[in-house]
Amino acid sequence: MISTDNIIRTENLNLWYGEKQALYDITMGILPNKITALIGPSGCGKSTLIRCFNRMNDVIDKCKITGKIFFYGNDIYEPGADAGEIRKKIGMVFQKPNPFPKTIYENVAYGSKIQGITNKNELDNIVEKSLKNAALWEEVKDRLHESAMGLSGGQQQRLCIARSLSIEPEVILMDEPCSALDPIATAKIEDLMSGLKKKYTVIIVTHNMQQAARVSDYTAYMYLGKLIEFGDTDQIFENPKEVLTENYITGRFG
Amino acid sequence: MVMKIRLPQKSILTKKFIKEKGMKIILFLSAISAIIIIFSIIIFLFRDAYPIFQRIGLGPFLTGMRWNPVGQPPLYGAFPLIIATLLVTLGAMVIAIPLSIGSAIFISEIATPRVKIIIKPAVELLAGIPSVVFGFFGLIVLTTWIRISFNVPTGETWLAGSILLGIMAIPTITSVAEDAISSVPREYKEGSLAVGASRWQTISKIIVPSAMSGITAAIILGIGRAIGETMAVMMVCGNPAYGLIPQPITNVFAPIKTLTATLGIEMGEVATGSNHYYALFGLALILLIITLIVNILATVILGRLKEKQRKSKKKKPVISYEFGRKIKQTFYLLIGTIVIAILFITVGLLPTIGIITLIVVIYYLLRKISVKVQQRLAFSAITATIIIVIIFLGIILAYIVTNGVGALSWDFITTGPTNLGRSGGIFPAIIGTLYLVAGAIAIALPLGVGAAVYLHEYTKEGIITKIIRTGADLLNGTPSIVFGLFGFAFFVLYLKLGFSLLAGQITLAFMILPTIIRTTEEALKCVPQSLREGSYALGASKWQTIQKVVLPPAAPGILTGAILGIGRAAGETAPILFTAVVFSDFISSSVLQPVNALPYHLFTLATSIPGSQQNQAGTALVLLLLVIGIYFIAILLRNQFRKKMKW
Repeated sequence: MISTDNIIRTENLNLWYGEKQALYDITMGILPNKITALIGPSGCGKSTLIRCFNRMNDVIDKCKITGKIFFYGNDIYEPGADAGEIRKKIGMVFQKPNPFPKTIYENVAYGSKIQGITNKNELDNIVEKSLKNAALWEEVKDRLHESAMGLSGGQQQRLCIARSLSIEPEVILMDEPCSALDPIATAKIEDLMSGLKKKYTVIIVTHNMQQAARVSDYTAYMYLGKLIEFGDTDQIFENPKEVLTENYITGRFG
Repeated sequence: MVMKIRLPQKSILTKKFIKEKGMKIILFLSAISAIIIIFSIIIFLFRDAYPIFQRIGLGPFLTGMRWNPVGQPPLYGAFPLIIATLLVTLGAMVIAIPLSIGSAIFISEIATPRVKIIIKPAVELLAGIPSVVFGFFGLIVLTTWIRISFNVPTGETWLAGSILLGIMAIPTITSVAEDAISSVPREYKEGSLAVGASRWQTISKIIVPSAMSGITAAIILGIGRAIGETMAVMMVCGNPAYGLIPQPITNVFAPIKTLTATLGIEMGEVATGSNHYYALFGLALILLIITLIVNILATVILGRLKEKQRKSKKKKPVISYEFGRKIKQTFYLLIGTIVIAILFITVGLLPTIGIITLIVVIYYLLRKISVKVQQRLAFSAITATIIIVIIFLGIILAYIVTNGVGALSWDFITTGPTNLGRSGGIFPAIIGTLYLVAGAIAIALPLGVGAAVYLHEYTKEGIITKIIRTGADLLNGTPSIVFGLFGFAFFVLYLKLGFSLLAGQITLAFMILPTIIRTTEEALKCVPQSLREGSYALGASKWQTIQKVVLPPAAPGILTGAILGIGRAAGETAPILFTAVVFSDFISSSVLQPVNALPYHLFTLATSIPGSQQNQAGTALVLLLLVIGIYFIAILLRNQFRKKMKW
């Protein structure tokens, strides 16, 4: 999908955890306002790859990267690049809902507060808008000042989505956002995703092939740290070009 | 036709059954030993303190402004001593809290793994230095430095005590706070970074607030440690007559006399059964009550923390979040008011206003500067704290090594002292310490392991385990000088053992018992449940399973606990001061004779034998090498153990 429209593009991306190489020579382009799914068996490197897009791997010791990742043509791994600024533009939702041990309101306002916004009205508006966009407002509007830990797992995950929307990023990375949720909560998140792509670019890692087929526009299949095939979701699922992809899709392994 | 198999009935007469029941009873008895000991301590202190309350009244004893038991008339006013203890502790905390929390943040969040591997054991090393060695260093180096650099008549002051106690409390606070910070889930950190927060914003707004209750508990434990410390305080605080408190109360260059120092100094020269004797037990009782309260507070906070982590969500809190926040705000407001009030009393109105404006201005300036500069400033400050701690450690070690190495020789460790210890060696003290430690561990190890096995293998978490654990925690927080007084009252006098090796051994054993219980429990926790189930599935009984399957893999962990206990026992002075030691060159041949010991030898040389400088430093070095060597082995073992324990 390499094209001039790419919002994120990787070139010859290699990654090592210590001695062990986890990604091999990944070159791919992400198109704006689309949902791109990364699929593949456990340990294939899909989570590692998505964590490269907002430099979340910086947190991990002994992680080494070569190659380039461009965001609007700027290399995010350039020596002078500020990871914080990049993460404001490229938000992330994690596998396990991870609200802070604060109130619902504080969770959503956190990102704006650390950017220096202190005006109460402005914060109120941001919180309301973000929660509405994450389809959570109706459920929590009467208890904004209660602890976020009291929400259900699905609500917590939508709160985390609201938190990442609050700073108006351009891209949202979702690392298996539904793997800790039950089917009903999963359906709610999936509904939400198709709405989100009007404004945002979404990249989602998922274990669940039906989910990838249901929600995504493009699908990338990874295996053992390599990008095997990347294309239109319909094409990948109905007419894969690579044998490895076909084996995985048809459930012959993995 | 189905064959019927008759299962053997449980019989109370089998050997196996008797053994199982017997073991359970023995283990139960070891488990409640900690409770029995802490209660005996309270009872015996109270028994010997009661007469003074009866004779002069509890009120006058607590509020009397003069302490002069040998005067005419004798005065028994504990108030200045209590105030002195609080002042020294307060000063120590002013030093220890910022340094420890900075160090804890550095170790858990900022240090690279390679730096962490060096820094963490260094801070732990600080915990391993015996308090008498701190006292020796303080007496010779710190007080001289204070006298010269502040141009005061004597360096033996409140300030000296606070600095020394502050340094001694650092490892306690750092290690508990670091545990708390490290156990903040990584998800919180990632969630914060993912919305573009800087590392410092993440640390200051998410990680530290989430770890706040653990950090509070760490500070409280540090306070407990500082209040209970005897030897170092006694050697550097000057101990003025009447126990007078500083005039004005903020004069850090005044000598000061704490509760523990009073006990340490006067207990040795008091006539048993005199008013003075009872009054000292009164002081010990006050000291014990203060430390018990402090430790119960820490235990409650840590206990609630664990519960919160276990149950985490879905449980509605007893007080609403909003209300909780209001309580917190009121609490901070209160602290702020107190700080301002103290400032106002000490420096007057105008400077107070000046300082407050300055703080407000700095606060707003800090908010104006960029996130990056904020982070750089904060990280520099935090790195500075750990550097200061390492410098403290370096100075103390360097002083003792450079001065002590001259005295070291084969003769020094193999011959007895001559000329009151000014020359000759320290052989009897080494042997005495070995005897004391061997006896203490021989008593504490079976008792402690038994208690831990009972707690972890035989009971479900409930009231009984809670009580036993609380008992062990309280015993752990009991000041060593209180063990000394208890040992004197119970073993030396009541059981008529006299000043003897045996009395010292048992007293030390009681002191290290909680360490052994706790480390053994940790080791047992690391043995996976599946091993036990595997053994039961083969028809093994409980005790057989414990003996053959649970204890062997836990052995290295238990050994680590034992070694830590040995290190602590080897370095302690206060518990043996009134139970076992005499300053002599003879080697006891029976457990009913007194002994000399390395820490006591050093204490006596440093405080009462002028002209023995070289041998003081030599003794300090030998003691330091012994204790640090022991800890080093424990740390190595623990690392080895951790590597192996990845099931």
